[in-house]
Amino acid sequence: MIEVRELKKQFGAVKAVDGVSFTAKSGAITGLLGPNGAGKTTTIRMIGTLIAIDGGSVKIDDVDVAGDPDGARRACGMLTDSRGVYTRMTARENIRYYAELRGMDTARSERVLARFVDWLDMGAILDRRTDGFSQGERMKVAITRALIHEPCNVILDEPTNGLDVMSTRALRELIKRLKAEGQTVLFSSHVMQEVAALCDEIIIISKGRVTAQGSTSQLLAMSGKDNLEDAFIVLADMHEAQTEAA
Amino acid sequence: MWATLFTVCRKELTDHLRDRRTATMIFLLSIAMGPVMLAGMSYFISSIEKKAEAREVYVHGKENAPQLTNFLARQDITILEPKPDFRVLIKTGKHDPVLVIPKDFEEKFLTGAASVELVYDDTRQDSGNVSIGVLRRLMRGFNAEVTNQRLIARGVSPLIGRAVEVRDINMGTPAQRAAQILFMIPFISLIVCVTGCTAIAIDMTAGERERGSLEPLLMNPVGRGALTTGKWLAVGIYGIGVVALTLTGFWLTLRFMPMPKLETVMSITGMQFLGFGATMLSFAPAMGALQMLIATNGRTFKEAQTYVSYLITVVSMIPMVSIFGQLKDATWQLFVPMLGQLMVITRILRGDPVDATHFLIPLLINAGITVTAIMLIAGLLTKEKIIFGRA
Repeated sequence: MIEVRELKKQFGAVKAVDGVSFTAKSGAITGLLGPNGAGKTTTIRMIGTLIAIDGGSVKIDDVDVAGDPDGARRACGMLTDSRGVYTRMTARENIRYYAELRGMDTARSERVLARFVDWLDMGAILDRRTDGFSQGERMKVAITRALIHEPCNVILDEPTNGLDVMSTRALRELIKRLKAEGQTVLFSSHVMQEVAALCDEIIIISKGRVTAQGSTSQLLAMSGKDNLEDAFIVLADMHEAQTEAA
Repeated sequence: MWATLFTVCRKELTDHLRDRRTATMIFLLSIAMGPVMLAGMSYFISSIEKKAEAREVYVHGKENAPQLTNFLARQDITILEPKPDFRVLIKTGKHDPVLVIPKDFEEKFLTGAASVELVYDDTRQDSGNVSIGVLRRLMRGFNAEVTNQRLIARGVSPLIGRAVEVRDINMGTPAQRAAQILFMIPFISLIVCVTGCTAIAIDMTAGERERGSLEPLLMNPVGRGALTTGKWLAVGIYGIGVVALTLTGFWLTLRFMPMPKLETVMSITGMQFLGFGATMLSFAPAMGALQMLIATNGRTFKEAQTYVSYLITVVSMIPMVSIFGQLKDATWQLFVPMLGQLMVITRILRGDPVDATHFLIPLLINAGITVTAIMLIAGLLTKEKIIFGRA
């Protein structure tokens, strides 16, 4: 479970994240939806310990991210938009490096790896050097190494960016599997259809604030629209409308 | 902690050694350096000695001065006829200095107003300067002989023309004289300590940023300090490997290539060779750490290469300061990286005594540089500008 309370981050005069609160429950998929520049990535980077938190708090399974960053890193696995792999090493070596950094023995990491190879259909590329891998193949390596320690909390930042249909589908299947295993999945996207198809709970972020949250049907009801695209536009602007009204 | 260091270090070494082209290049260059440099030095020294001993001088217009020609013959000197366009050739460094005797030498000689010309070009840094010394010495001898004869003919003691007699007593041993030329060996060896680990230092810092692999790497529950130290271990081992290969090249050359000319000026004992090696081995890992620190600020391999090239320039300038500033060996130099190493190796090659401080002070300085650099890099790895700043 990931609990975010009144999270704040400022870059110079820009308030990138301005008091975001939400809870991503175990065994559920929570989607962060918002336009480009809304603050999704900054929020995710703060949850993932990559940038310092200016205000508020994040707890991953009761581990306070600011107080125990290494504990938080052990409790979650995160895929960001940086998916660089070591091109002179094979896919297996890339993944095993992360497993070793996390102190896993070979037997356990090979067992987890075998599951991912099956799920993501990586058999053919596993022992090839990653030089020349396609975006989709790189994503498969990146997500496997990020989740090799079988974390209970999975954070994915725009995971389907730049992927073809086949890879996107494989990734969606993986996300559903993780949910079925009872893990907390938090993922960000600006693609509404994707979020609508996968998420149990949707958090709409705009200009660094949460403007609405709920299931797809709740969001539609809230906006008074009959399709998600219109609902999204209404809900993303809600914050602005509220501020103007005030 | 130890497991992390080992994992990171092994990964970085494996990864970098798979870059076959770079690794092969660096290894071949380091092993070849000793033989090439020592053979070059040996050739250079023997060519100087040959000229210094040479009993051959170029004289233009020898028929104009029979008495001088006769003097040279008595000195067992062979007179060579210079090429017709020797003035041009000297200017381009293709001809040794020439003694020019004018047509009217003989008639002026009788009245005591004779002159000869020594034609040379002192801006040329080749060994031509050696035979100009030989020509000068011969002319001084001839002058003294003629003066003595004239004074005796007039019933005057030749001693009257010599208020003070000057005798040359050169205290420099042949080894010390050779060390003046051999400064190239410590200089180039120390540059190898720096450039040998440049590629790997950049690859694992700026390269990590350029590939986009730094951000996911930092998501692992591993301290920044441990991560940096592991990477530095890899750079250090790599640097030590390069230095060891360079030293092996030197040792094999000294051991198996007969270079009698070089041996007369530079005979290195086993202990001296160890001192030479120890100085380089403690220098390379510190320079690796410094390059990692500089390269961490580069968003791409290329950008980091530019930054690191500034360091290499500075490091190569330091010996110039020593040469042009005519620095005498002093303890303070041991505290300056590169300058200290240069001084110690030069002393070893020159056969001057070295003691423990010559190794301990630079070692402490190197350790200080390494620890500071690692701490600064670990600090940089918490900066958003470094983690996310990509080209």
